[in-house]
Amino acid sequence: MTDPYETLGVARTASSDDIRKAYRKLAKTLHPDLNPGNIQAEERFKNLSAANEILSDPEKRKRFDSGEIDASGTERPRQPYYKNYASKGGGAQAYENTSGFSDFAGADDIFADMFGRHGRQSRRMRGHDLNYTLAIDFLDAVNGAKKRISLPEGGSLDLTIPAGIEDHQVLRLRGKGGPGSGQGEAGDALVSITVNPHPFFIRKGDDIHLDLPVTIVEASLGARLKVPTASGAVMVTVPKGSNTGSVLRLKGKGVDHGKGRGDQLVTLRVMLPTKPDPALEEFLADWTPASDYDPRKDMLP
Amino acid sequence: MIINRLDFLQRAQIDQQTLEVWLREEWLLPSEVVSDLEFSDIDLARATLIVDLKERLGVNDEGVDVILHLIDQVHGLRRLVGGLLAAEKASPPSET
Repeated sequence: MTDPYETLGVARTASSDDIRKAYRKLAKTLHPDLNPGNIQAEERFKNLSAANEILSDPEKRKRFDSGEIDASGTERPRQPYYKNYASKGGGAQAYENTSGFSDFAGADDIFADMFGRHGRQSRRMRGHDLNYTLAIDFLDAVNGAKKRISLPEGGSLDLTIPAGIEDHQVLRLRGKGGPGSGQGEAGDALVSITVNPHPFFIRKGDDIHLDLPVTIVEASLGARLKVPTASGAVMVTVPKGSNTGSVLRLKGKGVDHGKGRGDQLVTLRVMLPTKPDPALEEFLADWTPASDYDPRKDMLP
Repeated sequence: MIINRLDFLQRAQIDQQTLEVWLREEWLLPSEVVSDLEFSDIDLARATLIVDLKERLGVNDEGVDVILHLIDQVHGLRRLVGGLLAAEKASPPSET
């Protein structure tokens, strides 16, 4: 039995804090369960534990320093180390984790050949799902489209955007993900769709909303106007006496996703001429509106 | 060897409450039998390791979690490497 101070590598005057630090530092490199492959570790750890047993206890340390006890015979009997069981397999397999080498190509197959139990599981391991994102135009989302994604790892994915797809919807391409191992099927490619906003169409559910600027003449006297829709322009009748906020419903011109068809809702916005118009000003100056023309009458107390 | 709960607590030198925590953390995975838990030698050795880590090496609970996870991987790897070396020895040298 060597001198415990020497084993721990501390001076005889070391504080208990120094001793604890020295013990922990050495135990990290010598604890058999933290160094399962080091066959000398067990013997050296036993010495280290015995040394610590004496020096970490002020009473025992005092007796050792005064020569009352020697360094031998102080180690406590101990349960066998965990590594002794873990290395045998058997019950340890409940704890054992084989994810540490799943990145080695072919490791699953090698492992399968050697250890039947794990093998049967890993042979049929399904490939990983791979995630992608794709931004598409508003009109492609409404009408459907075909798109090709170039993959960062080379190659490409063709996908059909179904008409009426919504923002943040995810398309699953079966079998286009990571390859499975052994006889396992490939994973899926998951494509998350982002729909870019449109300059004037706004989607709400299956309906498409549009603000349509009209002139004061078109609103007052009525007109037939060309109105854009997601599926091309249509001619729309603006009834006589329309106003800002009047809504025209274009049946079936909204989002069509097979199960049903939304409408397009056109909200009129009456616009005065952008430049001052002397003729209009002159006319309005002479114009006497009907007595009940007060757009703010609902606001009056 | 099958160890019952009381025996296990005594031999691992831990109390019931500590055991509950370790089971909840899944640091230990004893067999569940109808009446109670059943521990084996390996569970006991593992518990001793956890006691070592916590009480002698000053590892906190989060650290124990990380260490056990890595140790479990090391043993998986050791078994793979051991098996590979044994297979290498058993088979005639391959032509390359």
